[in-house]
Amino acid sequence: MTDNQEQLIQEAVEKALQGDMDAVNNIEDRVTRSKAKAALVKAKREAAKTSAEPSSEDKSEESATESKPAPLSLNQKIAGIIASQFPGTVDEESSSETHIQLQPAKWFDVAQYLRDDPACLFDSLQCVTGVDLGEESELEVRYNLHSMTHRHAVEIRIECARNNPKVPSVETVWHIGDWFERETYDMFGIEFEGHRDLRRILLPDDWEGWPLRKDYEVQETYHGIVVPKVKEGWE
Amino acid sequence: MVLNIGPQHPSTHGVLRLKVVTDGEIVSDITPIIGYLHRCFEKHCENSTYEQVIPYTDRCDYIASMNNNFGYVVAMEELMEIKVPERVEYIRVIMAELNRIASHLLALGTYGLDVGAFTPFLYMFRDRERILDIFELTCGARLLYNYMWVGGVSHDLPVGFVETVYNFLDYFEPKVQEYNDILTFNKIFIERTADVGVLLPEVAISFGVSGPNLRGSGVKWDIRKDEPYSIYERFDFDVPVGQGLVGTMGDCWDRFYVRVLEMIESTKILRQALKDIPANGDVHQALPKKIRPPKGSIYRRTESPRGDLGYYIISDGSPQPYRLKMRSPAFTALSVLNEISRGWMLSDVIAVLGSLDIVLGEIDR
Amino acid sequence: MTVDQLIDWFPISATWPGLTFLLAVLICAVPVFLFIAVYALVVIYGELKISSFMQDKVGPMGQGVGLHAWRWGLLQPVADALKLILKEDIIPASADKKLFILAPFIVFIGAFIAFSALPFSQTLIIADMNIGVFYILAVSSLGVIGLIMAGWSSNNKWSLYGAMRSAAQIISYEIPAALSIIAVIMLTSTMSMQGIIQYQSGFIWGFLPNWLIFNNPFTFVAFFIFFISGVAECNRTPFDIPEAESELVAGAFTEYSGMRYAFFFLSEYANMFVVAGVAATAFLGGWQSPIPGIFNSPAWGLWWFMSKTMFLIFVMIWFRWTFPRLRVDQLMSACWKGFTPIALVNIFGVGIWYLTLG
Repeated sequence: MTDNQEQLIQEAVEKALQGDMDAVNNIEDRVTRSKAKAALVKAKREAAKTSAEPSSEDKSEESATESKPAPLSLNQKIAGIIASQFPGTVDEESSSETHIQLQPAKWFDVAQYLRDDPACLFDSLQCVTGVDLGEESELEVRYNLHSMTHRHAVEIRIECARNNPKVPSVETVWHIGDWFERETYDMFGIEFEGHRDLRRILLPDDWEGWPLRKDYEVQETYHGIVVPKVKEGWE
Repeated sequence: MVLNIGPQHPSTHGVLRLKVVTDGEIVSDITPIIGYLHRCFEKHCENSTYEQVIPYTDRCDYIASMNNNFGYVVAMEELMEIKVPERVEYIRVIMAELNRIASHLLALGTYGLDVGAFTPFLYMFRDRERILDIFELTCGARLLYNYMWVGGVSHDLPVGFVETVYNFLDYFEPKVQEYNDILTFNKIFIERTADVGVLLPEVAISFGVSGPNLRGSGVKWDIRKDEPYSIYERFDFDVPVGQGLVGTMGDCWDRFYVRVLEMIESTKILRQALKDIPANGDVHQALPKKIRPPKGSIYRRTESPRGDLGYYIISDGSPQPYRLKMRSPAFTALSVLNEISRGWMLSDVIAVLGSLDIVLGEIDR
Repeated sequence: MTVDQLIDWFPISATWPGLTFLLAVLICAVPVFLFIAVYALVVIYGELKISSFMQDKVGPMGQGVGLHAWRWGLLQPVADALKLILKEDIIPASADKKLFILAPFIVFIGAFIAFSALPFSQTLIIADMNIGVFYILAVSSLGVIGLIMAGWSSNNKWSLYGAMRSAAQIISYEIPAALSIIAVIMLTSTMSMQGIIQYQSGFIWGFLPNWLIFNNPFTFVAFFIFFISGVAECNRTPFDIPEAESELVAGAFTEYSGMRYAFFFLSEYANMFVVAGVAATAFLGGWQSPIPGIFNSPAWGLWWFMSKTMFLIFVMIWFRWTFPRLRVDQLMSACWKGFTPIALVNIFGVGIWYLTLG
């Protein structure tokens, strides 16, 4: 490595540590650039080790987290509000800055509260995602809520047992819950109690199995038609 | 009488089946039955690498593929904290806005066809062909591009690209006036669409409707302005909102007109982007060698021509997504069909369905 | 050459009157049928090409030799006709067979027999009845029965919808059409087609033909009312809800294929010709020449009649590719709340004009 190159890499890494990635990306020579990137990773690792405060891995851009230590993220604030209104529903250990973990029992009341309370006003249900947390683990439903008035958003996760997954339905709170919950039921088999018309939406009504579960075995034939298998692996 | 519209039908915009219960000509209940185009996109993504997911996203909303790609790469880059070079940002915005114009042209043209105006459909497709030619010039594909990659784009802009797009913009802007003359302010078209299928703002928000459908009801919400991504903050453009010019606010005409105005706004963004795009830069600079995002999850929305396109990605540190959910705007738009077309006549159901601008590929995935 | 003249011309008319009558009618009917067939081919081709030019397309092009060379594609309508004739004749299993087969013929008859009163030229008219225009209006309503039969016998909800809409539309729009013709009859005091044309002979101020459209402002409006009602009667856009392609696939004709479908098609175009022909006769002077003094012979008369009719058909085609279609209830309210009152006012107006200004 020549002196010039070393100096270039040094400067680029310094600039990048301050946040300007263009210096690294704009290096013409491929070899030098990759060396600079490697040096940057090393520098970052060292900075992380020496700094006293763990950097918060906040990936959800909707949280109102500030980079200075102390203030609670929006998710944590709302978790606090829910815990005070509905004691016993918030699972404090699993909640974090990025999401609120709730117990399924009182979800319908919590949802109504979240929609109507003036501090929250979450009038828009953005996305309902079903998740299979692993073959030995449980199923989970994740709700992304958003408020058009306050322009803030939270994520709520509700875990349910694999054998008999039941979650209260919120389709009367947010009307789009109707179709989102049907889709989650279709893909995972999670039953939403209180849903007036819970049937499959994307697959035919007489399909067997819950496709997006990790232990799903596709059926051999459907009405005499051979069902092709989904490609395994990525090679 | 229980009528069945579709799945094979000239104006259901794809394979959609509508079960309509009518009393004479008045409709009392509509049940959309979807799933005819379900291709297990989400299951496929769990078995493919992050790079291999991008062509799958193309095929969901096949009319606005660039915007689908854009949503995915924006979410991934936030998850992996990658910052892409300036030139790549500008290229992405240019492609996304061109695709927005193309998608709106198709939506408006087929809407005219649904209500019986055969000629504007052909005029709009003629202009859309020019956009597809620009795309073919850049990446070789007309409809499904696989263009935006995590950390960059697949091909750099060809020589003469900027001039071609300027020519197109100069040709296209007077055409919008022509479309207004022939269709938007045509008396018969106004009679067919004004006051029909009124969508109230509260109903829209509760049903999760977004994009031009929501803006047609008077709610000023555009992800490009309210939760900006990429470099949209640098551009100066308006967000057109329905005002009930020729009827009630939130009727089919308003949704139609919002799309027409959005095309003009896209041309403004395009002109600004073409002026400021950096002349040189390597578009493959920031491409990661192997995409292995850190463990975590992210939900990110972007503005596709149909509304809020959201990707919920859960990563477990491996090269394949653990779970990828695509929240499509047309899914929510279709769910509101029953609400707003009850009590109207059968022809109005077709008019309302056309104004919601759905694409079955996105709804069924 | 009327049927009466033909009968007199036959030497055997005294001995076998029945046979003579039959022969005379056949000799007049067959050319009309052939004329309708050829005219339909021409108009179909015209519609394709005209619509293409309006829509920035090229339309049928030729890739062969002879008639099918260059950019004209003149054999396209012939190919279309051949295709329709050679198609498989499908009758749905649950359809009402007798009505299903009978329906196209009744629709066609309604349009076909109206041709017998159209004055193609001074001497070329099959039957110059003294109730000419009344006969045409009466007979063109026969088509409605055929349409309802078609919709009902297909045993298909879509066809039923289309047939009901169509029947309502045609019956309603007969009224403004008839009322406009009454305004004409009031002036001409005769219902005979040739008589109406004779009334319009001569020139005002030396150069303006004495056509009824220029006669007084009320007949001017009556012309437009009649023309638009005629377009509605033919089920053409903007009134083509019964066959709205993007809504009801093909409306009342969804289940028809091949030659039966061709018959419906043919009768639609024949109807267009009848409407345009009556409009040309009653308002535009029929076979009379617009230029004073010359081009008056019977051959020229035929030319003038055909060109006026074809121009009106061109306008109908133009309408189809320009306007979106009206919804059924808007159609009906336009008829009953718009055209009919105006047509009634017209009748009053013509009477008062005639009395006061002579």
